[in-house]
Amino acid sequence: MTMKTTLAFFALSASMAAAQTFPDDLVERGRYVATASDCVACHTGPEDKPFGGNHRIASPVGDIWATNITPSTTHGIGNYTEQQFSDAVRRGIRADGANLYPAMPYTAFARITDEDMHALYAYFMQGVEPIDEPSQQTALAFPFGLRFSMMGWNLLFADSATHQDDPAKSAEWNRGAYLAEGPGHCSTCHTPRGMLMQEDGGQYLAGAQVGPWFAPNITSDKAGGIGSWRKDEIVAYLATGRAEGKSQAGGSMAEAVSHSFSKLTADDLGAIATYIMDVPAIAGPARFDLGTAGNRTAEFRGIADPDLTDLGAGAQIYSANCAACHGYDGQGTKDQYYPSLFNNSDTAGKGANNFVAAVLNGVNRKTDQGHVFMPPFGTQTNAFNSLDDGEVAALTNYAMNQFGDGVTTVSAEDVATIRAGGPTSNMVKVVQTLIAVGAALVAVVLIATVIVLRRRKRAA
Amino acid sequence: MTSSSQVIVVGTGVVGSVIAEHCLDAGLEVLMIEAGPRVSRAQIVENYRNLPLGAKPDATASYPPADWAPHPFHGLEHLESTGPNKYDPTYIRYAGGSTWHWAGTSWRLTPEDMQLRSRYGVGRDWAFDYETLDPYYNMTERKLGICGPADPLDQWPRRDRSMPYPMPHLPLSQGERKFTEVMQTKLGLRNVPVAQARNSGMPYDDRPACCANNNCVPVCPVGAKYDAATSLNRLEAKGATILDNSVVYRVETGEGNRIVAVHYYDRDKTSHRVTGEHFVIACNGVETPRLMLMSADDRNPNGIANSSDQVGRNMMDHPQQGYTFTTTEPYWLGAGPVVNSGIMETSQGDFRRDHAAVYFRLNNFARNRDIAKRAMASGKVGRALDEEIRRLTATSLNVVAAFEMLPDPNNRLTLSAQKDWLGLPRPSVYWDVGDYVRRSSVEYSNPLAQRIAEAVGATDFKPASPEKFSTSKHIMGGTIMGNDAATSVVDRHSRTHDHANLYLPGGGAMASTACGNSTITMTAMAFMAAEALVSEAKGA
Repeated sequence: MTMKTTLAFFALSASMAAAQTFPDDLVERGRYVATASDCVACHTGPEDKPFGGNHRIASPVGDIWATNITPSTTHGIGNYTEQQFSDAVRRGIRADGANLYPAMPYTAFARITDEDMHALYAYFMQGVEPIDEPSQQTALAFPFGLRFSMMGWNLLFADSATHQDDPAKSAEWNRGAYLAEGPGHCSTCHTPRGMLMQEDGGQYLAGAQVGPWFAPNITSDKAGGIGSWRKDEIVAYLATGRAEGKSQAGGSMAEAVSHSFSKLTADDLGAIATYIMDVPAIAGPARFDLGTAGNRTAEFRGIADPDLTDLGAGAQIYSANCAACHGYDGQGTKDQYYPSLFNNSDTAGKGANNFVAAVLNGVNRKTDQGHVFMPPFGTQTNAFNSLDDGEVAALTNYAMNQFGDGVTTVSAEDVATIRAGGPTSNMVKVVQTLIAVGAALVAVVLIATVIVLRRRKRAA
Repeated sequence: MTSSSQVIVVGTGVVGSVIAEHCLDAGLEVLMIEAGPRVSRAQIVENYRNLPLGAKPDATASYPPADWAPHPFHGLEHLESTGPNKYDPTYIRYAGGSTWHWAGTSWRLTPEDMQLRSRYGVGRDWAFDYETLDPYYNMTERKLGICGPADPLDQWPRRDRSMPYPMPHLPLSQGERKFTEVMQTKLGLRNVPVAQARNSGMPYDDRPACCANNNCVPVCPVGAKYDAATSLNRLEAKGATILDNSVVYRVETGEGNRIVAVHYYDRDKTSHRVTGEHFVIACNGVETPRLMLMSADDRNPNGIANSSDQVGRNMMDHPQQGYTFTTTEPYWLGAGPVVNSGIMETSQGDFRRDHAAVYFRLNNFARNRDIAKRAMASGKVGRALDEEIRRLTATSLNVVAAFEMLPDPNNRLTLSAQKDWLGLPRPSVYWDVGDYVRRSSVEYSNPLAQRIAEAVGATDFKPASPEKFSTSKHIMGGTIMGNDAATSVVDRHSRTHDHANLYLPGGGAMASTACGNSTITMTAMAFMAAEALVSEAKGA
């Protein structure tokens, strides 16, 4: 062995020693935990490099960029110890000590057990291809740009306890609770948030707006929640993104179905369903069994310049853009690959936002059952018809009237808000104002104190 | 207003769009100029739905032409036809071109189809062989998203494919399966699934899957069928500038007989001049030779690219004859796309020395539209009429014989004395399908069609008249390709022999028609042209 090759041999041995070797079954278990946690959905950018980061998350306080979490030692988390990894996932604290924003659902991931955490680490170190490329960095407006501001938030709102089984419940229920509350992080989207973006525990899974989409009430309320669903319907929904005659997944739920739920075992989906069916009911507007088949075609068909009512205008937009797949009466297809628009949660309850979001953004969902794809009608390059805000509003109002609850209406401004990515929070303004007012108050007190002191001095 | 661009593409149909995208991907600057308007799919869909039933079979009825960009349209004289047969193609001058209303049928040529002269002593040989074209067919099938059969026995041509189709073929409907079985068992003829530019069972190219509206002609309401209009937003996102409602009426030559500019009228009849380095004229096989002839100048007194006198000559099509007959058992055609299967093997053989080959297309348009009139003419009313419509919808078949045609310099496009709205001379075409086709109709096609009809139990077969042929929408030959500059207009790269920076790709360049629809061959040739253009631009 020459000097050079000997050195090379030692260098190689050293690097191999540095990388822990985890058993394959542990790595596989970690892969499953990562799937259940749907890490890939947020940590993969438009370049489609798994876990490479560069994924923009539109938050109410500004864009947050999910980072490179591949084991790259230069741009990823390759240098993380298991403790550092665990702290990032379950406490929201990076290896450098800085705080993560709760767009990373560490408040839910805190439930992940030590065993699953160990497996997850093994998977990310050994089962993921490193990508040595940087990811976009998050830069929020003051004061959120100061990551330490999250420390106070964590003190107030983060619960660091791992999952503990409830002995009063079945093993299946407990498994479901673990998956739903922990890795599955259902409440991250489905629980409305308070003033400071914390989940409102009193409204657990009662439904919340997430970007352009509304993550609906999934409590056991029969009308507003999913209390009317059978267990097998919930399982089918999670596995395929569709519960026939009820609802179908779009937006980030379509991603969750594509990347995560459809890849879980039938037992685990059953466990999640068992748990979800037991979540305390929170009442909301009815969203199933509403609307009827029908059309207003007679108002405009074959008429050169029809004098259209608002609903007639919406019906004509429906005819031109939607009827080819969803049917002239909104009935969908026999196999419901193209869902009916009546008896559908997207045209009822708080479904109008989702109807608008589906029209503007389309639907894209891929499972073993096939690739469900509805083209967008926004300004995307594959939008063959770009509907403007007024047209989308007219279409939505027609759909809600004919196929939905018959009362909900939206305005062109509402559509513009969804088109822009969903309502933004005024929290940035509020907090900045509070800080400014606080600073002013402090200044007033200081000045007053100085004046009083001087007066006393003079008086003395 | 754009007054200059590195590459200028006139026409936004499939050929122009594919070339434009290839150039954009190579980093070239591209300006596309379209004579007609840019309309939304929703508008076309509603135009179609608002048509009276009788007008619905007319593929162009949903596309009323703009005054400044006339195209063949019911009640409007644009294309003059002279000669023994009527030349009546449908094409539209809209952004996106005539793929708006194509059926999506995507047959390749066979190696034999490209060597008629050397193999059978008729027509012309192509400037290259099938193996040369094959990789460009593969590119086309991927670009347009073509679904086709995986079973080699169902593939056309029947030879090993160098790449599989990007999507599986669409399933045959119940009636098509039945027809296929009867053809196989009774006649030994194989009715094969049509390769077609349609998303089968999956999204492709960011477009949705076919949902079987049976509405491909005149418009796919959902964009599951490829049409060039689906690519225009993407081309713009890649940097293309698209001018619509801009009618190019003159191609200007300069030093060395290179093209230096094109001139177009806007909708207010104001003329504009745009200069460029590389020019692609892809306005289809009628409008391209028309533009070449209109642009005659001192250097090119017979028209641009016309030193061979072949511009406008050798006009070709697939002359058609339709057979409608009644079966004994119900077939219920009309589920799925409008053309989904056909018999191609009748298009090959030594008989091509004597007469044209034929492709039998089983039309899958829902039958109720066409037979409703017939049922009403029977005098029945009420329930009896309903039952008659139902009976005929289930049991009538429409099979179309599509003939190949030879290039004949007498089949010629010239400029009419009649003028269009802008004052430009209208195209005029002398049209004679020729004895080669007529012989085939009498000796080959009619007897075969009769056997097909009898095989499905029809007793009402009527042979087609050898005098009567309808026109396909497959415009070929007017700027024919060849290696010899004395007898052809463009070279193997669809570049004109006369002008080093002028390309005339598309159906006009095709040297033979074979029997299958021409679009993917045109597109494959467009890719060849685009490669040549890009390498010239990069080398310059």
